[in-house]
Amino acid sequence: MPQSTQTVASAGAKVHQLTPAKSETETLLIFKLSEQTFGIEVERVSEIMDPQNTARVPNADPLAPTLINVRGSIVPVLDLRNRLGMKPAPQKHTSRMLVIDITLNDEPCKLAVMVDEVEDVIEAVTEDLVSVPELGIRWPADCFRGVSKRQDKLVILLEASNVFALPTH
Amino acid sequence: MSSPKSTFIQEANDLLQMLEEVLLELETAPESPGQIDAAFRALHTLKGSGGMFGFGELAAFSHHFEDAFDQLREGRATVSPELIAVSLDSRDHLAALLALGPDEEADEDTRIIGDALLARLRKLMDTPADVSDTFAGQPPAPDAASAEPVVPRRWSISFSAEPSALKNGFRPELLWDELALLGSLRLTCLGDNVPELEILDPGECYLRWEMELETSVSRERIEDVFIFSMDAEIEIKALDPVEAGVASEPDQDPDSPAETATVTENGPVAAPKSESVRVQADRLDDLMDQLGELVIAQARLKSICEKFDDPRLESTVEEIEALVTGLRDTTLSIRMLPVSRVFGKFRRVIRDLSLELEKPAQLITEGGDTEVDKNIIDSLTEPLVHMIRNSLDHGVEDVAAREASGKPATATVRLSACQSGGEVLISISDDGAGLNAEAIRERAVERGLIAADQYISTEALYQLIFEPGFSTAKNLSSVSGRGVGMDAVRRVVDDLRGTIDVKSVAGQGTKVTLRLPLTLAIIDGLLVEVDGDKFVIPLSSVEECVELPDIETARDDGRTILRIRDQLVSYLSLDKLFGYNISTRSHRRVAIVNADGQRIGLVVDDVLGQLQTVIKPLSPFHHMVEELAGATILGDGSIALILDVNALVRRATTVMIAA
Repeated sequence: MPQSTQTVASAGAKVHQLTPAKSETETLLIFKLSEQTFGIEVERVSEIMDPQNTARVPNADPLAPTLINVRGSIVPVLDLRNRLGMKPAPQKHTSRMLVIDITLNDEPCKLAVMVDEVEDVIEAVTEDLVSVPELGIRWPADCFRGVSKRQDKLVILLEASNVFALPTH
Repeated sequence: MSSPKSTFIQEANDLLQMLEEVLLELETAPESPGQIDAAFRALHTLKGSGGMFGFGELAAFSHHFEDAFDQLREGRATVSPELIAVSLDSRDHLAALLALGPDEEADEDTRIIGDALLARLRKLMDTPADVSDTFAGQPPAPDAASAEPVVPRRWSISFSAEPSALKNGFRPELLWDELALLGSLRLTCLGDNVPELEILDPGECYLRWEMELETSVSRERIEDVFIFSMDAEIEIKALDPVEAGVASEPDQDPDSPAETATVTENGPVAAPKSESVRVQADRLDDLMDQLGELVIAQARLKSICEKFDDPRLESTVEEIEALVTGLRDTTLSIRMLPVSRVFGKFRRVIRDLSLELEKPAQLITEGGDTEVDKNIIDSLTEPLVHMIRNSLDHGVEDVAAREASGKPATATVRLSACQSGGEVLISISDDGAGLNAEAIRERAVERGLIAADQYISTEALYQLIFEPGFSTAKNLSSVSGRGVGMDAVRRVVDDLRGTIDVKSVAGQGTKVTLRLPLTLAIIDGLLVEVDGDKFVIPLSSVEECVELPDIETARDDGRTILRIRDQLVSYLSLDKLFGYNISTRSHRRVAIVNADGQRIGLVVDDVLGQLQTVIKPLSPFHHMVEELAGATILGDGSIALILDVNALVRRATTVMIAA
């Protein structure tokens, strides 16, 4: 291994790409949903809103049962609890809607999710991420990138490209 | 995106389409020098500018193709059916070369096709070359068939390029070379606009040119040379008076100062009849999107205004409303194109098909000047091709059968368009054998679409031909009969929010009519309420609204039929269909709609009124909900879903059959 490190270092230009990666941090938005703490890359979140009036979509997939109006664009609301296999729960006074930017079928688009509470924005060091223990959770494993520790609490990082994917059925 | 290259590609495509029409015209009337000239000019322009923009292969091929038409012009060859056939194939080859893109080499196959075409052309041209001998005594001068003036005239041309032209790949020397080919050219370059060295930008073009050209070609030919120097200033003047008796173009009156044509902007081919501007299609789409937002914002403003009791605000809001309406109408009219743009393509389709199937047929088009939104026009070509193929392949009988039933051997396919209210009707009719209702019924039963003993109206039965994989053709042909196609037609028409009517008389023919909205972006709708939610039913499919008698609401025997003026209409309850809370309201309303040709009632809690609104597409998360055509934002900011009535009724029917 030291051998290969040297080779890369002597290549000059590549050193710059490697070094920051060692201690790369990312900014995460921390939110709560059904007593769990989740994190998502902050650049994915285009805005945080108070709960809006939703419009039901008849015969829609339970994953995306409603729509909201975000300043003139019609945005589907994803039921994150449904996606993660959690039980439905009523809206709280701390509930907020996150508007998320994603790419679907190669087209940029927006969607919204309701969360119980938005807690904080933190800097997390990428290398501190611990992979999710296979047996530790009962949710679909492809929805998570890993777990980060924060003041003795576990923050579960969402893998946005899988969580917000189109239903496969 | 408006680079000279893309301008060329656009122009070249127009030229190729024009060439096709000219060739088909020549096929019916071989002796028309005007058409021959037009074909020659199109090819000449393709050759000249193709080379300039890196389409070397296109230019080289056009060169040989043009030669053939030059011989025709000069009367050294005649128009024959073979020539038209080769020319049409050559035109297709040119289109293929154009599609290659600039600076691309054609692959081996394309080249072989090209060479074969040229060989065929050469063979045709060589034989009748001796024909000129038969006109013994006549000089083999080009004037025999040419419409161009014979006596050389002197023209003064001044040209100053647009300053940034060089950056866009403008090369003046190519223009001068091309002009020099037309006659004797005296060229003076003027440097009086060249600035001081310190401020000179070497990338800009500061030079002007004055030219004197002595040539026997027409003004149009000279203008053609400058066809791609869009933004340049060009002035072409005739210098010497035309001698009496030789004047062939009446506008070349030496005394008339109108002789001078200064051309800027729209390219030098001055089109005095219509002052038009080429606009990129996506800019029109942007304009439409913004107009849509404006319509919504205006609705919001209006609903806010209603909360204040201020006459000044009210009158301003009304004024804005009128302005938005005007703006909307103008914008929509910009996007309208005549359907003749698609109709033109079908003469070729019919010609090639009738040769392939050995069923002589003629195409009659009517109402080509009917205007439809550009996006609708763009998606129409494919379905129309399918339907015309079906008409000719399945509808029209072979010659023997036609003669046996006393019909003319040549079949007639009629393509017509007209506007009716907010809709455009496009119909394709043939004088063939008509649809075989029995065969359709058998096939439908076989495929499990209907029960063997089910009663079904003839209209509904005909609609089944649009089901996926439905074909009653006994023999599959290369043309149709594979059952793909008609369902594709319905899909496109559905996406355009249109409907299809089929009428057929056994032994006399079939008529398929597409009903399409005039525009896609904005719809007139009926706003209804179901279980507290708002929905929009496109007004084009609503026939009338009636009240649901309370006795029907109370009925629990499962009967869902209403009697409306002695007509029985079955109805669907939207709350049930959507899985919403079942309404207990009295005095509910029924919107009677036309879905795939049948009248059906949609029961709603209330009808709130009519509105004009913008359709916003749903996200991919909701694409599978077929009964929704989109959504819209109402004046109060809430969302209403727009129903796709045909899909809704179709889905309800399948649910009922499955249940």
